[in-house]
Amino acid sequence: METLIKVENLSKAFGKTQALDQVSFEVRKGEIVGFIGPNGAGKSTAIRILLGLIKADKGRVEIFGQDVWKEAVDIHRRVAYVPGDVNLWPNLTGGEVIDLFLSLRGIAVDRKRKEDLIRRFEFDPTKKCRAYSKGNRQKVALIAAFAAKADVYIFDEPTSGLDPLQEQVFQECTKEALEKGASVLLSSHILSEVEKLCDKVVIIRQGNIVEAGSLDDLRHLTRVLISLKTVEALPDLDKQPFVHDFHMKKGEYIFQLDSDHLNDLLAYLQPFTVTQFESAPPKLEDLFMRHYESTRGGV
Amino acid sequence: MQSHKLTGQMFVFTLKKEWITLLLWLIGLAAYVIIGVVAFIEIYGEPAELEAMAMAMQNPAMEALFGKAIGMDNFTVGALYTQSMTIIGFVLIALMSILLVVRNTRGEEEDGTLELIQALPVGRLAHTNATIILLLATNTVLAIISSVLLLLLGDASMTLHGAILTGAMYGISGILFGAVALITSQLSSNTRGSMMLAFSVLGGAYILRIIGDAGLTVLSWISPLGLLYRSEPFASNNWLPIYIGLLVTVLLLITALWLKKHRDIGAGLLPDRPGKTRASSLLQTSLGFVFILIKVPLIAWSAAMFLLGVSYGSILEDVQDLLSGNEIIEQILASDPSIGLVEQYMSMILAVMAMITTIAGLQVFLRIRAEEKKQRLESVVAGNRSRQTVISGFTLTAVLSMFWLQLVQSLAFGGAALATGYDIELLDVLLTGMAYIPAMLIMLGVAVILFGWIPKTTPIIWLYHGYAFILLYFGDLFDIPAAFNRLSPFYHVPALPSEEWSWEVTVTLSVVALVLIAIGTVGFRQRDIN
Ligand SMILES: Nc1ncnc2c1ncn2[C@@H]1O[C@H](COP(=O)(O)OP(=O)(O)OP(=O)(O)O)[C@@H](O)[C@H]1O
Ligand SMILES: [Mg+2]
Repeated sequence: METLIKVENLSKAFGKTQALDQVSFEVRKGEIVGFIGPNGAGKSTAIRILLGLIKADKGRVEIFGQDVWKEAVDIHRRVAYVPGDVNLWPNLTGGEVIDLFLSLRGIAVDRKRKEDLIRRFEFDPTKKCRAYSKGNRQKVALIAAFAAKADVYIFDEPTSGLDPLQEQVFQECTKEALEKGASVLLSSHILSEVEKLCDKVVIIRQGNIVEAGSLDDLRHLTRVLISLKTVEALPDLDKQPFVHDFHMKKGEYIFQLDSDHLNDLLAYLQPFTVTQFESAPPKLEDLFMRHYESTRGGV
Repeated sequence: MQSHKLTGQMFVFTLKKEWITLLLWLIGLAAYVIIGVVAFIEIYGEPAELEAMAMAMQNPAMEALFGKAIGMDNFTVGALYTQSMTIIGFVLIALMSILLVVRNTRGEEEDGTLELIQALPVGRLAHTNATIILLLATNTVLAIISSVLLLLLGDASMTLHGAILTGAMYGISGILFGAVALITSQLSSNTRGSMMLAFSVLGGAYILRIIGDAGLTVLSWISPLGLLYRSEPFASNNWLPIYIGLLVTVLLLITALWLKKHRDIGAGLLPDRPGKTRASSLLQTSLGFVFILIKVPLIAWSAAMFLLGVSYGSILEDVQDLLSGNEIIEQILASDPSIGLVEQYMSMILAVMAMITTIAGLQVFLRIRAEEKKQRLESVVAGNRSRQTVISGFTLTAVLSMFWLQLVQSLAFGGAALATGYDIELLDVLLTGMAYIPAMLIMLGVAVILFGWIPKTTPIIWLYHGYAFILLYFGDLFDIPAAFNRLSPFYHVPALPSEEWSWEVTVTLSVVALVLIAIGTVGFRQRDIN
């Protein structure tokens, strides 16, 4: 599959803050990639570099095989962007701003599609931008993004101001765009949204990519927390290859188990008398949480 | 060439959102030109009147206020117009241009709208280019309007050549300071900082010109205001300053574009310093909160008022020397021989400086409006402070700032006069400065009422203050009916030190001011926050 977004060894510092450190990831054609991580991890910074808004210190960053800083104008013809915080010109109406954005993309406004989106997002385009609420300002950018065809959509917390119903509309629109063959990079703190939409996720923390891959693979990689008690002592449990972070507490064995090795554990336990067995099942949230917690994080 | 893509479309868009504001500015500036021409022709049509005026304009006090006397070998209404209207005209035009540029470049960058634009297939410089074109277009229109008005309304002394040169001079002053603002918009990462840097350059240029015109001529040439003034339309008609101005402008614009192209969006070239982790106890009081909000502008104002005071004060001795040598001037200006000419100069200058302090004080108070517009006032009012406490915090800080700046400028003025050898009582100067406080409070009171009752109309205070300023500044040149004069609170203040301090005026004005402030506060207590 063709690679549309390619980030290789990207580094960026703001003064003493190293916002991104040797970051690499890619988005292929037709793919939707979730870009997640805690506050200040560097998501917006990476996205702004992708859009040629700020300049990378080091590394290769390309969209459609073109350099994002030098060929920004060419690239932007086929890219739609929606930021989390949309500020607009107070004395223009929402409708005017949508048309402006579309005209600057060099695209004749497809009235029907625009009207359709305005209806779906329940948006009133006749008000001046100063009178819009946060969510309504965000709709301006979303409608402008979806009203014209793009090959790559870049979203930075696009639903942070939307109510759940509108969030639903956003998800539908995104799926439609994917069906038409577009690729999407979606940064979001709403994990359920990412879980529902994304094929792949990239997790970033403190400027480093800590995990990347398809959701299924990552789920697979997740470990389960096991605590058990046996009558006999268990020799060499801590030496088993599928056991991690082993410790004992009040006669209980507590450890992390690679979730695809449950069978091996059961086979190992066969000869012993188990009096207690508890396991916490792998949830997607856990996977993310592990990376969100900076002090107790498992990485 | 990619970086200029869609400049044309961006310009059309910029024009669309800006045209009303700029139209108002242009109408205001046209009115400024019209009033100048018509009034001067009306008042100084007689040769005898003109001759008297020619002498008066050579008075160093007049030169300090307006600019070097020009066209003295053949003094005409044209020359009078140029000398008296040019510097303030430049300042107004520069103001329009600086605001235009910062609002459309760094302003939109700080708001995040530029980010949306730049994520579209629009060249990296298109947005800035559009602003530059708008700056050029606005000032070109202004130049043409001014030239045409001068030709239509002027007398025989206002020649085609001079009229065109005046237009060119006005236009260049605008784009030059616009270009300065474009540079400062690259340096500072926020709107406020960019404005303040640009205004500092304007203020610095004004001060250099005062000192330069009082003797150190080279300083006048370094100051953009002094330089362009040297075109002297309707007198020597010199185009050289225009060319120099144009060259400097082009260099500034190229530099600004280069800086813009190579920096990150949202970033400035000057470092942002990291701030405090915790709020100081000062920040947690209602007065201290306002004080911290306006701390940086207040420091800048203090420095500006100090420099202005020193500049005007240090030429007092020269004024004295020049005046005592010139019998004719003495004859003409001393309508009342018991009044010293130097005292007249002093009261005039200190009155003008009081008007400037008022601008600073109003700005401190109007910060509350800015907070409201940025929706930060809600969080303050939503806390446990009453609305009255909140607005009083701003009002009181404005009052204190006015006292403080009057203190700074009058002591700087008096101190500089003493230091350069002019014998003066510091207390007299201080008293002159303080005499204006009640009038300044009335201005503040009007601002509080506007903000308290109909917040949208708050900017009207600037029109009112501009009106008072023009009455005072040009009052001696125009014949202004007393009824118009009485509308300005400053008119009622006795011109110390030549006139006597009046408790009656002080108390009356202060009481009126307090009533105005109280009415405004009541309005704020019961209106919506928006
Ligand atoms: N213009 C800037 N100047 C200085 N530091 C910056 C700038 N922009 C970002 N940073 C720093 O870079 C780091 C990454 O910020 P970034 O905005 O990319 O985070 P993020 O992952 O988008 O966070 P969030 O989830 O809160 O949106 C942070 O430490 C931030 O403080
Ligand atoms: Mg972010």
